Amino acid sequence: MPREIILFGAQLPVLVPLFLGAGFGMLLLDRLFAIVGLYGLVWHPALFRVALFVCLFALMGLAIY
Amino acid sequence: MNPLLAWHWLQRTVREWSATDGPVLLHVVKILLAGGLALWLSMLLDLEQPRTALITVGIVMQTHAGLVLSKSFYRMIGTVAGILFSLLLVALFIQDRMLFLFGAAVWIGLCTAGSVVLRDNQSYAFVLAGYTLCIVGLPASLDPDQTFAIATNRLSEILIGLLCATLVSELVFPRRLTGMIRQAVRKRFADFSELLDSSLNGHGNHRIALARLMSDVFRLESFRAASAMESDRSRSLRLKLGELNLEFMEVTTTFHAFEELLRRLRQKNLQATADHLMQIARGLLEAALPDGHSAHHESEAGQVADRLQTWLAETGHMPTDITSAGTSQTDLETGLSLLRQLASEWRDYARSYASLAGSAPGAEAPALGVRFDPVTVGLAGLRGALMLGIMSVVWILTAWPSGIEAITLGVVASTLFATSPTPARTVRQFLTGGLAGAILSWWTSFWLLPQAQDFTTLMLAITPGIAIAGALTAKPERAVTGAGLFMIWLMHLGIGPAYMQNPAAFINDLLADFLGIICAAMLYELIDLQGSRWSQERTIRALRNLVSDVCRSTTPFQRETLETGTRDLVYRSGSLRRITGPGDDRVIDWLLMALETGHQIIALRELLIEEPDVSVHKQFGQVTGDMARLFDMPAPEARSRAESSLQDLLQILEQHSSANCQRARFHVHLLQNALADKTSVLQFATGER
Repeated sequence: MPREIILFGAQLPVLVPLFLGAGFGMLLLDRLFAIVGLYGLVWHPALFRVALFVCLFALMGLAIY
Repeated sequence: MNPLLAWHWLQRTVREWSATDGPVLLHVVKILLAGGLALWLSMLLDLEQPRTALITVGIVMQTHAGLVLSKSFYRMIGTVAGILFSLLLVALFIQDRMLFLFGAAVWIGLCTAGSVVLRDNQSYAFVLAGYTLCIVGLPASLDPDQTFAIATNRLSEILIGLLCATLVSELVFPRRLTGMIRQAVRKRFADFSELLDSSLNGHGNHRIALARLMSDVFRLESFRAASAMESDRSRSLRLKLGELNLEFMEVTTTFHAFEELLRRLRQKNLQATADHLMQIARGLLEAALPDGHSAHHESEAGQVADRLQTWLAETGHMPTDITSAGTSQTDLETGLSLLRQLASEWRDYARSYASLAGSAPGAEAPALGVRFDPVTVGLAGLRGALMLGIMSVVWILTAWPSGIEAITLGVVASTLFATSPTPARTVRQFLTGGLAGAILSWWTSFWLLPQAQDFTTLMLAITPGIAIAGALTAKPERAVTGAGLFMIWLMHLGIGPAYMQNPAAFINDLLADFLGIICAAMLYELIDLQGSRWSQERTIRALRNLVSDVCRSTTPFQRETLETGTRDLVYRSGSLRRITGPGDDRVIDWLLMALETGHQIIALRELLIEEPDVSVHKQFGQVTGDMARLFDMPAPEARSRAESSLQDLLQILEQHSSANCQRARFHVHLLQNALADKTSVLQFATGER
């Protein structure tokens, strides 16, 4: 995988689209968890979500580095 | 002291502290945490101006997580829009400074106008889109090759600031809006109950208190909008809140109509009828105030709703044919029907309030609409554009190195406070904060910062400033002063990749800041869109137009549109939030007048729409036409014409026995009362008083 992409002549790290992708994936997961009612069982929902996002993003990052 | 007593005393003190000063301290700690994180990250990434991230944290941090999220979101959108337009402007007009500055002035004007039209954080996004142009576009115009670098730097710094602020406020002891909203709803219900209590017990007319309660819908609406950003559970609360707001507006309007009826009865020397109505009203009050006090929480509100239901059932067949001397049969029936309407609306309101405790989803209520006066908005835009124009001329003529700084602060001050009810006063508060910030910044920059050796000592050096500003911004009434302190203080901190500060540039920039702010204050005084007599006349004119629109509309005019439209107009003018100013009570009188008449017309139209008889429709068309003309241009002839067509309509209605026609008679009667009122603003406007 290349580590940089070119967007309108500007170099961007691939991490930027990955960040956006992780955010989008997080939206879907978040909706799913809210429907299932998982957040009722979690002590600190906000922390849980941030941690989940970091995991997602880190996994994607590991895939390219 | 007895150890048990001491223990209790300690407990109470801790509880008091945690309710009052605790949140302030928590807020300060959170700003420090988020600010430190943002500063550290932007230094780690070698950004040019780490302090921008710090300023961002200072600006968006608020006591509740939802508010931070929504402000951050709109700040991001505004920044991106501003940066994109800066790039466009540099690409198009970099060769010609006149065209460049003209384009910038147009943009600032549009953004200021947009920020005046919208409310709260959406309005903030426009403010930001406006002044980001000054921060990115103007420096870029001096050094076009660096445009892209300046833009990405600014964007990165802002994003880092936003990220840190939202993360810290969400993760570290988050304070949810839900609690605050609940409290606000409870307080509003209690306030309204008490208002009803004191008014129906004959303690005078409560116009101002009522009007103030009426404007409360916008405060809740802004919480409602902000809570959209908060997670999961508040979503159903948000829906219910919209419903609650609409119901509250209706119940206050009906209550006002009843108060006016009583007042007019006394004016017409029909004391006996008024007393009789008061007696019935007291029964309603007993149902609404269990044990003589207002409902304090959701379950009590549920009881109130049930008791009101019982009261409605009891009064359904109450005999009203009391023909003792000095009573007016029509007024009595009208009053009773108004009271029943008030009770049923209050019942619905109490039910919605009670349902806040449960988890049943609420129905989707429309968001409050916007209604504004295009001329006022245009002038606000012009003020913003003028600000940029004036400061640019100063900059070009003097070739002052700090010219951009002056332009930026001027534009910030002239757009940020455009929606305040008293902009000139708000700018003065900002200026006070700014002066304190300047002194603080001198001390920090030339005494503390040079001693900083590493990141820890750097944080130690800026902690006092953050603590002072944070403590100020935690209190709503000092928030503007705190913001001024924060901005001016942070903008002059020499934090960069290395310590950089020289006294000459420092003083230059400070002077530029104050020049910009003072210039903005002067423009607010010159183009006063809130407190001046002219702007009050505009607001009144717009209110009257709204009533004419109600009369003229062929499609059913929504009651919500009238309710939110009138309140929005008056809210914008700031009269409801100021109230004390001269002429403000006249605006409020017109608000109440517009609500009252507009509402009666809508109710009439709803009742008569299915009436088969053509003559009723024809006469109703005559009435609405005459009313519209009266509100377009109040004059004695227009009033008498409207009165006579109302009388004709009443006669036609009396020949019909359908239930709708019977009820329509009450509304016609109320309209007649309103027109005949000797002390109303309408009489004043027609020149008969």
